[in-house]
Formats: sequence, structure tokens, C-alpha cells
Amino acid sequence: MRLLAGVLLTALAAGCAADTAGAARAAERFTAALAAGQAEVACGLLARKTAEKLPGPGQSCAAALRELRLRAGGPVTEVSVWGDEAQVRLEDDTLFLRHFGDGWRVVAAGCVPVRDLPYECEVES
Amino acid sequence: MVAPVRRFKDNALSLVFLVMFLLSLAGQALAGMLDYNERQLVRGGDPVSFGRYVFSSDYAANVAENWQSEYLQFFLFIMVTVWVVQRGSPESKEPGQEGAESDERQLVGRHAAPDSPACARAKGARLWLFSNSLGLVMGLIFLLSWGAQSVAGQSSYNSERLADLRDPVGWGAYVTSPDFWNRSLQNWQSELLAVLSMVVLSIYLRQRGSPESKPVGAPHSATGVQG
Repeated sequence: MRLLAGVLLTALAAGCAADTAGAARAAERFTAALAAGQAEVACGLLARKTAEKLPGPGQSCAAALRELRLRAGGPVTEVSVWGDEAQVRLEDDTLFLRHFGDGWRVVAAGCVPVRDLPYECEVES
Repeated sequence: MVAPVRRFKDNALSLVFLVMFLLSLAGQALAGMLDYNERQLVRGGDPVSFGRYVFSSDYAANVAENWQSEYLQFFLFIMVTVWVVQRGSPESKEPGQEGAESDERQLVGRHAAPDSPACARAKGARLWLFSNSLGLVMGLIFLLSWGAQSVAGQSSYNSERLADLRDPVGWGAYVTSPDFWNRSLQNWQSELLAVLSMVVLSIYLRQRGSPESKPVGAPHSATGVQG
């Protein structure tokens, strides 16, 4: 019975525990860097796969990010964290983040919803 | 026989299944972690440690979805066999004995034997509770496990959805989603098939020495006879 209770509590904890503040802070740092024109800093906050996919041939990540002219996004309005994945809604943008060993990083930005399908994002992995 | 050895032998069936259960649970955790880390690699995430995986929603959902179906299977088996019989099956009562049966046959109230549990001599709610305790506990564990599956499953499902750049869903939307019902029904159908197989095959087939089988020489028509 103790084992059963343990597993049920683990299931509930696994279902409920969420670090929304960390994801929100990472999203705010990313949008603040974009708003300040610090594309290098913003690139440093991207997930490795996203940062690698972003630039075209011979282009740097920062140059590619500047070229996209992403919206500043505005203040955070809603944060959803499930496992290692997060969605941060801003007033004018939606970001997707993933938790890595060194903290939250942006996986996709400049995202617009598509009915019944994944978001279409200007930056994604 | 030395007392500890005798105690071990007296409880060997429970202990054997407990050990096999724990080994399988650990094996599932290890295989699950390796599978999860493969998916993490594909999506560009960091691999997780064994300790972290066993507290993840992915593992919890996989464990709970199997538990709920096993407890549902036994709950249904216990309850349905009160009222429904199968001629020739050792898993069934004799035809004509359907129902909760008389106090005399069930050894309750004034028919309780000297070594009957104290609750069998009780009256009213206490007797009712004890008389139905096996079904109630199995049913309760089923509901708790199914509830845990819904919570952990929602978390795991939403994690996948976010990784696919999709909006997460609420609990109400999850428990009406194809994912939840696919996970539930794929387990239920296999459990129900296993019970059906046991009820029907045990009419005609035998396993010498097993109390789950009729004695080898028992006729196919003998019902409720165990070896």
C-alpha cells in the first residue's frame, strides 16, 4: 500500500511540479536583448540546435536574428511549463523554451498559432 | 523446519511475485529512461539521469496506465463472477449459485466459524464493508491509478505538445483526448482478453498441480473445481 501511495504521489508530483519563474525570466532576458539590439546576447539564449539552424550560409546567428527583425514581444502574460518544456506568451509574441543543464533556453520565437497544427515560428530548431 | 524457512515457504508465492514485480519495475525504469533519452537526443534536449527519470511524468504515466488496467481486470473479475457463471470453468461458481449467497454459505453472522474473522460476526455497515472489502479495495486502487494516469499522462502529453510547438491542454481536454483513451483502452482490451482466455481455456485444458486449474482428471463439465 505504501508503494502504491508513493507511485500515486510521484505521478501527481510529476504532473504538477513546474518552474514557471525560470522560464519567464529566460524569455524576458531574450526579448530584452532583442529590444536593446543585442542580437549576440539573444543568440546566446537560444537552444544549441535553434542557434545552429538559424543562420544562412556564411552568416552569423546574430546577423540572422537582426535580419528577422523579431517583434520585441512585450511583457509576459502567461507561462506554461510541462516537464522540460515551456511556452511563454508575451503581449505580442509566443516563445517556446526547453530546460537544459545550464537553465532555460529559447527553442522557438516569433511564433503565431495555426489552428490544430503546430505554431509557425520565425526562429525554430 | 526452522521457523524463518517455514515462514518464507508459507509466503513464497507473494515473495516470488513481489521480487518479479520490483525487478520488472526497475527494468521498465531503465528501458524507459533509455527510450526517453533517445527522444531527447532527437529533439535536441539533454539526457536525463535514472533518478530524474523515475520522477518524470513519462515514467509515472507508463506505470499508472498499466496498474489501473490490472486492478480493473481483477475488480471486474471479482465482481462479475458474483453474478455471472461459466459452466466448466474453475474460475466460476456452479450455475445456480449466482448472487451474494446465503449467510450460512458465507459463514457470516451466527453462521461464523470459531476461526472466522471478527468482522464476519459483526452486523450492519461493518459486515457489509468487510463482505465487499476485496472488490472495494481493488476498485479504489483502480480509480486512484486511473486518476494518477490522467494527471501524469496530461503532463507527459503536454510536454510532447510543447516540444512540437503546440499549445498545452487542460485536464478536462486531456481526459477526453484520443491519447488518454488510447492508453486506457489498449490496456483494458488485453486484460479482458486474458480473463476471457483463462475462463474458457481452463474448461478444456489442465495444469497439473496448479490451483488455477481443475485436476487433470476432472471432467470438462465440472465447474468451480480447483486442483
